[in-house]
Amino acid sequence: MSRAAGERRAEYKIVRYSPWIVHFNTGACNGCDIEVLASITPLYDPERFGVKLAPSIRHGDILVVTGAVTKKAAERLRILYDQMPCPKFVVAVGACAIDGGVFAGSYSVVGGADKVVPVAAYVPGCPPRPEAILDGIVKLLEIIERGEVKEHGCK
Amino acid sequence: MDVNSKHELLKKYAIEMGTVKPNRKVYVVEPANVRRIFEELIEKYGYESFYLSTIVGTDLKEEGKIRLDYYLVLLPEEETVVIRTLLPRDNPVISSIVDIVPGALSGECETHDLLGVIFRGNPFLKRGFFVPSDIAEKGVYPLRKDSGV
Repeated sequence: MSRAAGERRAEYKIVRYSPWIVHFNTGACNGCDIEVLASITPLYDPERFGVKLAPSIRHGDILVVTGAVTKKAAERLRILYDQMPCPKFVVAVGACAIDGGVFAGSYSVVGGADKVVPVAAYVPGCPPRPEAILDGIVKLLEIIERGEVKEHGCK
Repeated sequence: MDVNSKHELLKKYAIEMGTVKPNRKVYVVEPANVRRIFEELIEKYGYESFYLSTIVGTDLKEEGKIRLDYYLVLLPEEETVVIRTLLPRDNPVISSIVDIVPGALSGECETHDLLGVIFRGNPFLKRGFFVPSDIAEKGVYPLRKDSGV
């Protein structure tokens, strides 16, 4: 492993152990939101990965974006993202958050979350299963662990 | 005070009657009478005799009309009825009811923003609250069939 990757790993240490997530709906039909909420219930037990819902965006490490990003929500998404402490990662959940889904090209829709904020992981599905959402977050943690993550949103 | 007398009141103004689906009556009325109907409902039965669920606007381009549907829930029977009115597409103006039915605020503002219907007497109408500002600045109403967005 290169020296730079080692340094980055140390920098991400806190995130690796307990990535607190913040959930933001940028214009979803609520299908994905229900699955995100299901994935943070004891049935799927996300706290075995240290994952829990942050009380505020300013305590959040991972921003979970659901839904096509509307032009109105794009401004808010950017504001939320700017308020997160570094390092920070975005997970786009669902077909709509990836590229706009069936709403791509609409007059009120920007497109996917990556048009507004850097996205580190994509979870496809309409909606994705709660297991898939947790899997996406855990895969992101693995990428962070290996020091291969590109989009950490700082510097 | 039963629900039938409320139906009689609505029937008085109706120029046409029908159903949008089973057990949901629709009364087509003149645009000038819409405000009068609400005034009379409040006068006769009081403020708690109904609530306005929503206002739905539809652009009927071929007919040159804009159709407004006021979804009204009669209380305490909880029966939904529709008051339908048709406005000319080139000059869609109707009296606002926001001063007597405050629940109409979001419906009127949304219909104004998306379809360009002017509710005369509503001081809260503005562009760009529901519609993205770049579309509103172009001066087009996105739910009109010929808006091109």
